[in-house]
Amino acid sequence: MGRRNSILDPRTKLLLVFMEAVFVLATAGGERLYVLRVIFTILPFVLLITSRNYKTCITGIIVLIGVTLLERFVFPMLTGMLSYMLLTVITIVTRFLPAVLMGTYVIRTTKVSEFKSAMEKMHVPDELTIPLCVMFRFFPTVKEEMDSIRAAMRMRGISFGGGKVSEMLEYRLVPMMSCSAKIGEELSAAALTRGFGISRKRTNICRIGFGVFDYIILLFCAGTIIFWISGVMI
Amino acid sequence: MNDTEAKKTLTGRDLINIGIYSAIYFVVVMAFAMTGLIPIFLMLLSSMVALFGAIPFILFLTKVKKPGMILIMSTIMGILMFLTGMTWMPIPVAIVTGIIAELVYKSGNYQSLSKAVITCGVFPLWAVGNYLPLFLQRDAYFATRQDYGEEYADAVMRMTPDWMIIVLVAGTFICGIIGGFIGKAMLKKHFKKAGIA
Repeated sequence: MGRRNSILDPRTKLLLVFMEAVFVLATAGGERLYVLRVIFTILPFVLLITSRNYKTCITGIIVLIGVTLLERFVFPMLTGMLSYMLLTVITIVTRFLPAVLMGTYVIRTTKVSEFKSAMEKMHVPDELTIPLCVMFRFFPTVKEEMDSIRAAMRMRGISFGGGKVSEMLEYRLVPMMSCSAKIGEELSAAALTRGFGISRKRTNICRIGFGVFDYIILLFCAGTIIFWISGVMI
Repeated sequence: MNDTEAKKTLTGRDLINIGIYSAIYFVVVMAFAMTGLIPIFLMLLSSMVALFGAIPFILFLTKVKKPGMILIMSTIMGILMFLTGMTWMPIPVAIVTGIIAELVYKSGNYQSLSKAVITCGVFPLWAVGNYLPLFLQRDAYFATRQDYGEEYADAVMRMTPDWMIIVLVAGTFICGIIGGFIGKAMLKKHFKKAGIA
């Protein structure tokens, strides 16, 4: 399995994103699941190491430690509005960081065709899979366009600092959208020349399957869900 | 494939278009949603989504010629909200508002610009789904936030009496319509000239 750049099956990764969204971001289960939540917080760091994304992993750890220190030492000293704002920042970072890192891991290690193959195996209709694939392929392009237009407009003095909101809208959003729409048309033309528009069922050369690590994680997730539901019942 | 059938089913090109415009829409919305970290802005978020999202959305509508496209985009927004931690509630809400938006735009035969403006008002109602846990599961919502102290819970409570959800829906709808008009003007002024609308 050396050609795969991650140890997990795309379906397992999707399940993990799902678990992060439910248990860490939305904090389902409350205090009772605290220990499990800590494990889910650590998990993305481990996965990032296994896929050799050391830089992202270290940045994440530094942010997490920084926020914990803030919570321990700075927060008790503040009062009123300031503590309120700090609290918002702390909550957002501690909740979002694991999910964001998990998302980064999944996007960096999953090829579009692997994702497509996994969705096909789960019988998700093409009508939903294809737009999702295109969307994730397209996010970096939109961001790139946005950055270059921001740079060009700053030269003309249109930025958050001095500019009016209406100007911002017109001179930054509109060019960004025009560029992206044009690129999108090219993308669609390129895909169609490769036989995308054909109405027959497409094949996929990606071989995906569950390995040892997948089963470990699946068991762990199943355990978490059972523990959570048993808590809700009682 | 005969003509009527070709008009009804979604082709690969349509699906790619949905993906592209969802990406643009989501980037624009997120750029403004970042200001929602401040509590007051949190309540204004759905209206801001409606106002600024309308421009990319009305551009998307010019590409919509078949039933189903708006619904798919709406569903994708719901899924993205779920993945960014707004619980599962936005998904059913997004599907329902997607169907309504679809029907509104369909009544104009997927051509009428004035219907497109109304669709701009209906579509962003998916964003209101993000607030639902705050209203429906109030106890559970605050139970997970007990460690923030009374002050925080009170502040959020004060901002969200039950009737607030109606205000949110109405505000989002109105902002969407305003955004729709701005978008329509932008279509005329820029996008038609650039040859993409």
